[in-house]
Amino acid sequence: MRELIHDELIHRIASADEITVAAQRLRKTALEKDLAPGAVLEVFEQWAAALDAPGVREIPGVAFLRLWLRRGTLEPILLRELGPQSLECGWREHGRARLRAFPLGVVGHWPAGNIEIQPILSLTCALLGGNSCVVRVPSGLMDPTRLVIQRLQEVDRDGVLRERIFLASFDHSRIDLQEAMANSVDGAMIWGGEEAVSEVRALPFPHWARVLVFGPRLSVAAIDAGVWGERDQRASWCRRMARDVWQFEQQACSSPQTLFLEHGDGCDAAEFVEDLRAAFQEENRAHPRLGIEPALTSAICQARASWLLDDVANRACFPQSTDWTILQGKGVDIPEPTQGRTLSVLVADDLLHAISKFDGTVQTLGLAVKDSRREEILAEAAGRHGVDRVVRLGQMHVFGSPWDGTDLVRPMVRMVRHVRSQD
Amino acid sequence: MSQLADLHVQLVELEQSIGTLLDTRPYAMAPEQRNEYLLALFKRELEYACERSSRFSNYVRHWPVSLSAADKIADLPYLPVSVFKANPPLSLVPASEVKRTLRSSSTSGQVPSRVVLDAATSRRMTKGVIAIIRNFVGAARRPYLVIDTQENLGRQSELGARGAAIQALGSFATETVSCLLLDSQGELALDSEKLLACAAKWKEAEVLVYGFTYVIWTQLVGPLKRAGITLNLPNVHVLHSGGWKRLEQQAVTKDQFVRDLASVFACAEDRVIDYYGMVENVGVVYPDCARGYKHVPAFAEVIIRDPLTLAPVEAGEQGLVQVCSVLPTSFPGFLLLTDDMGEIIGHDGCGCGRRGTHFRFLRRVPEVEVRGCGNLETTRQRRGGGT
Repeated sequence: MRELIHDELIHRIASADEITVAAQRLRKTALEKDLAPGAVLEVFEQWAAALDAPGVREIPGVAFLRLWLRRGTLEPILLRELGPQSLECGWREHGRARLRAFPLGVVGHWPAGNIEIQPILSLTCALLGGNSCVVRVPSGLMDPTRLVIQRLQEVDRDGVLRERIFLASFDHSRIDLQEAMANSVDGAMIWGGEEAVSEVRALPFPHWARVLVFGPRLSVAAIDAGVWGERDQRASWCRRMARDVWQFEQQACSSPQTLFLEHGDGCDAAEFVEDLRAAFQEENRAHPRLGIEPALTSAICQARASWLLDDVANRACFPQSTDWTILQGKGVDIPEPTQGRTLSVLVADDLLHAISKFDGTVQTLGLAVKDSRREEILAEAAGRHGVDRVVRLGQMHVFGSPWDGTDLVRPMVRMVRHVRSQD
Repeated sequence: MSQLADLHVQLVELEQSIGTLLDTRPYAMAPEQRNEYLLALFKRELEYACERSSRFSNYVRHWPVSLSAADKIADLPYLPVSVFKANPPLSLVPASEVKRTLRSSSTSGQVPSRVVLDAATSRRMTKGVIAIIRNFVGAARRPYLVIDTQENLGRQSELGARGAAIQALGSFATETVSCLLLDSQGELALDSEKLLACAAKWKEAEVLVYGFTYVIWTQLVGPLKRAGITLNLPNVHVLHSGGWKRLEQQAVTKDQFVRDLASVFACAEDRVIDYYGMVENVGVVYPDCARGYKHVPAFAEVIIRDPLTLAPVEAGEQGLVQVCSVLPTSFPGFLLLTDDMGEIIGHDGCGCGRRGTHFRFLRRVPEVEVRGCGNLETTRQRRGGGT
């Protein structure tokens, strides 16, 4: 039988029936009770405020989540994705027809196990479409998820959102439970690495289910010669870089793994790395690392050693601990990422050349470019070479729509068109 | 003096210093005396390696603590064992001086480590292993039973971990017998007839037995138990290595392994000795003492590092195992961070009477389980380390 844990917020699942029964109830709610996006935004706004609490605000990513839940962030997204008047549940005129967004029903969420706020981010997208949600919470994210959902419970007094959420916990190897979950949903949002994503995609979803996949991707930062040459600005750009590196332990798809530095007159890479080192040390003081998987320790030591052993022209800068590593060299090819506390800094003659070598694996390009016209050219090239987000350096993790090149709310709703028979 | 001549002088001086340690009783030195000697020797070895390899020198130059500022072994630049998966292998000698290449055992799909040995390193390796094993089983030469095939007994230019371990003990042998063969399907099988003939011949004699742990269990203990055969060799010393992972998968405990193995030979359980070692740490093995701990010989050191800070941990705390050995000069294998977890028990005063650092091996570092949205790889080849 079902064992309830974590204040009954996250259900530890033992049998497939538990998922099936929960999904039936959730579908009934989603299809029979209207949930206007406007009403969702109201609760979200209060939720954002409630997340500014001790023990919660410290969870990695909660600062981004609070920003994401604000009406000012979500209203424009809803209007763009669902159209005008989309904040109310109702039909809108569209030429000689009427249009209205209806929820798919139940959306299943398979978040990655490495981003604390991802189960929440994922479900908010489906809730905005009026859907109910079954979320498989990865074992490592139980505590942060519980803390964040507890705050929703406090502000959602009428339970309009709570009655549409079912958080489930079960071992990823329980194929019967994975299949039951896939079978029970009308839509799916899948996040994670190649292996995890492939496994979930292969589950037996109903033929009508809409499946949305995010990941795996990596991200890159770039600073042009104009910005690099501005000595007085360099320290602040390095601080922004450090912030992007620190978030999510560099394991998110939006985490920068490589920084391309465009060479110009008076640009000294050693000087730049000194500034970056100072920024990393400062970030480490402000947000000290608390733990590490020993396998990542091995990977970091391996990255340091192989970088310096492979080419005597390569440089590196790192403390005795695993807190951060800067690998410095030249080139336009993205080195194999360590995906943890390690940034490759490559001096390139031309950023355009580096960007034109991207092969579709790059999700986000964080830019610091002095001239706006030049930036437009670089963004255009990035788009052509598979990049889905081009943002200012320091804002690489700011969640927004579209993400990975796709809308976040629209794919989980059905846009119903009514052409009047009287006309 | 030319650079080459200078390097030669350095090497001769190193050889003398290493020789002094190799000639010392392996577990008799006071820790303070040993640390001081080792620190100075490691610094000279690192300087020598930097002279021989610009790539290694580049690594040492970027280490957060300079050689001159290092005042303890733990400050010195160490390499992760996985760097020996590189091809060609990291070397401090020209190809013409390489006598043998040792290859680590690796589970399917993983890249094995490879280390190159010149004549001097190879000689020291043998001397180191003999000094250690002699301390545990005595110096006498005796019949040597190898739980493996004849193929692993021969001298080859590239040698796997099993072959290297088997051959390292060859100096104790008056005669060497292998008791496994490959059947018509190419599978390992016990040559019972040969084994029983040897057992009948050796009877009460001192006998040395060696095999990989899982090979002993699957190819010797299993078949003999099923057939109800006891070898009646009460004076054997059975050495085994190679880790417990495969036996753990079969739910075989260490106690069960030792009990059943001793019962097959009809010997006391304390004659079964597990040891930890890896090809990258040439010439150093770590047999369990009577208290169940692994001891570090005079020419080596073991440091356990906190995975987060990489600082050495106190006795009783767990962390990543760093092995240190002064023996190699043909490759930069002096100071190596392994992918194994261990625990320092103490830096002196083990109840078994051996002096110096003693520790416990705990487990291999598990693979990262979290597969994040930033992870583009399905498999990661970063393994190396102990057997």
